[in-house]
Amino acid sequence: MAEKRITIRTTRFDPEKDKAPRLQSYDIPFSDESMVVLDALNHIKAHVDGSLSYRWSCRMGICGSCGMMVNGVPKLTCNAFMRDYWPRSITVEPLQNFPIVRDLVIDMEDFMHKLKSIKPWIIRNQEYPLGAGEHRQTMDQIDEFRQFSECINCMLCYAACPVYGLNNEFLGPAATALARRYNLDSRDQGLKDRLPVLANAEGVWECSFVGECSVVCPKGVDPAKAIQQTKLDTTTRFVLPYGNREG
Amino acid sequence: MTLPGGDAAAASTGSATRVYKPEMPRGWWLRRRHYFQYMVREFTAVPMALWLLWLLYEIQRAAGGPKVYYPSVSPAFIVFSVICLGFALYHSITFLSLAGVIIHLKFMGKAVPPRAIVAAMFGLWLVASVVIAAVLIGFAR
Amino acid sequence: MNHDSAKGTKPAISHLIWWFLFANGGGLAALVLPVHILVQGVLGPLGVVHVVDRKYDTWISILGNPIVKLYLLALISLAFFHFAHRLRYFLVDLGVPAARTLPAQVIFYGGAVAVTGVTIWVLLTTAPI
Repeated sequence: MAEKRITIRTTRFDPEKDKAPRLQSYDIPFSDESMVVLDALNHIKAHVDGSLSYRWSCRMGICGSCGMMVNGVPKLTCNAFMRDYWPRSITVEPLQNFPIVRDLVIDMEDFMHKLKSIKPWIIRNQEYPLGAGEHRQTMDQIDEFRQFSECINCMLCYAACPVYGLNNEFLGPAATALARRYNLDSRDQGLKDRLPVLANAEGVWECSFVGECSVVCPKGVDPAKAIQQTKLDTTTRFVLPYGNREG
Repeated sequence: MTLPGGDAAAASTGSATRVYKPEMPRGWWLRRRHYFQYMVREFTAVPMALWLLWLLYEIQRAAGGPKVYYPSVSPAFIVFSVICLGFALYHSITFLSLAGVIIHLKFMGKAVPPRAIVAAMFGLWLVASVVIAAVLIGFAR
Repeated sequence: MNHDSAKGTKPAISHLIWWFLFANGGGLAALVLPVHILVQGVLGPLGVVHVVDRKYDTWISILGNPIVKLYLLALISLAFFHFAHRLRYFLVDLGVPAARTLPAQVIFYGGAVAVTGVTIWVLLTTAPI
C-alpha cells in the first residue's frame, strides 16, 4: 500500500533576509488519521527544515499558543485534523491582522495591551479584611459570567475580525469578553473603571457585529455576544441612570 | 528600514528586528461566504432608504391636491419594490434573529433562553405586519 | 502605535447615541417596512388588493390623522438614523477610514436630521391637521 502524502505550504519570512513573506512547500507523509496540522509542522521542523519557526505548547487545545491561518481560516493547528483537508494541500499562514515577526510567529503586543487595558482583575471599592473570610458565590452567580471566562487568549477572534483588520485601535472581541467576565462577576465592583475603555470611540461602538469572532472561537466564548450585550448595557445605563443597572 | 507593503516597527520582543505588517486586502469581504453575507446585510440600508424616500414623495404628492396626485403604478416601480422587499426581508430576518443575542432578560430568577426572545421578535413582526396591512387595506375603497 | 492616546480614556457619548438610534431604527424598520413595501409597493400597484394610497380621497384622509403622522415621522426618522450609521460603517468596511471621522459623522447623521426635517415639513403641509 502506497504511503499517503500531503503538501503543506507555509509562510516563510526571515526579517534579516526577506523583503516580504513567501510560501514554501513541503511534501510530507500523512501516516496517521489522527494527525493534526501541528503534527505536520513538527514533522517538518524535526525531519525536513529545522529553520521553520512557530508557536505551540500543549497540543491539546487549551493553551492558545498555536493559532494560525489554515487554508485561510483562523484555527488552532492542534485542532485542525489533516484528514479533513487531504488530499488537498494545506496552507498555513501566520494569524491575520497581526504584524509578522518571523515565519508563522506574530507580534502579539497589541493584544496583550488590549487585555490589560480593561483591568482584568477583581476591583473592589473596599477589600474584605482577611479575617472576614472569602467572597462567597453561588453556582448561579458563577454561571452569569462562566462562558466569558473560558477564553484561552488564542487570538483567533482578532484574526477573524475585519474591523480589527481595518483598524488596529479597535479594542476587539477577547478583551471585551474578558471585561464582561469581570463586570458580571458578583465579587467585582469595577464596572465604572472599565467603562472609559469599553465605551470609548475605539471600544464596543466600532463593532459592526460581523460575528466571525464567535464562529472561530475554539472555546465557545461567544465574544460577539459579549460585545453586543456591553453596547446594550452601556446604553441602558446612560439612558436610565438609576434603574435597570446590573449589579 | 521600510518594507514594501508594510510598516517598519521594532518588534516588541525588544530586539531591533523588523516586523512585516500585512495590509488588509480591499476585497476581504469576498474571501469568505460569511463576510459576503455580512456585507449584503449592511447594504440593505440602501434599497430600504430609497423606498422610504419614495414613500415620502408619495405623501408629498398628495399635498398637490386630487388633480396632481397619482398612485405609483409603473412596472418599473413594482420591480423596484420587489427588489427592495427582498433586501428589507433580509434585514428583518437577520436583525430580529440577532436581537436574541443582544437581549438578555431574567424571568423569575432564570435567564430567558435566546430562542424564546427570537421567537417573540418574529411573533411581534407578524403581529405588526398584520395590523399595518389591516390599516392599509381596511381604510381603502 | 501610540497606546497613550487620550482617545482611550473616556466614554464616547456621541457613539453611544448613534448606536442607540441605529438599534431602535433598525428594529422598527425590521418590524414594519416589509409589510409597507409588500402592500403599498407590490400588491397595491398590481391591483391585487385595494390599498389606501391608491386613491387621493383615502390617502389624504389617513394622512390627516395625527397618529398616522407621528407613526410615519418615527418610522422615517429612526430608519434614516439607522441607515446613516450603517452606511457610514459600510464605507469603513469598504476601506474608507475617513468615514470614521467627525466630519463624516456630521455629514451622515446630519443627513438623517435633514431627512427628519423634510419629513416634518411634508407631514405638516400634507393634509394639515
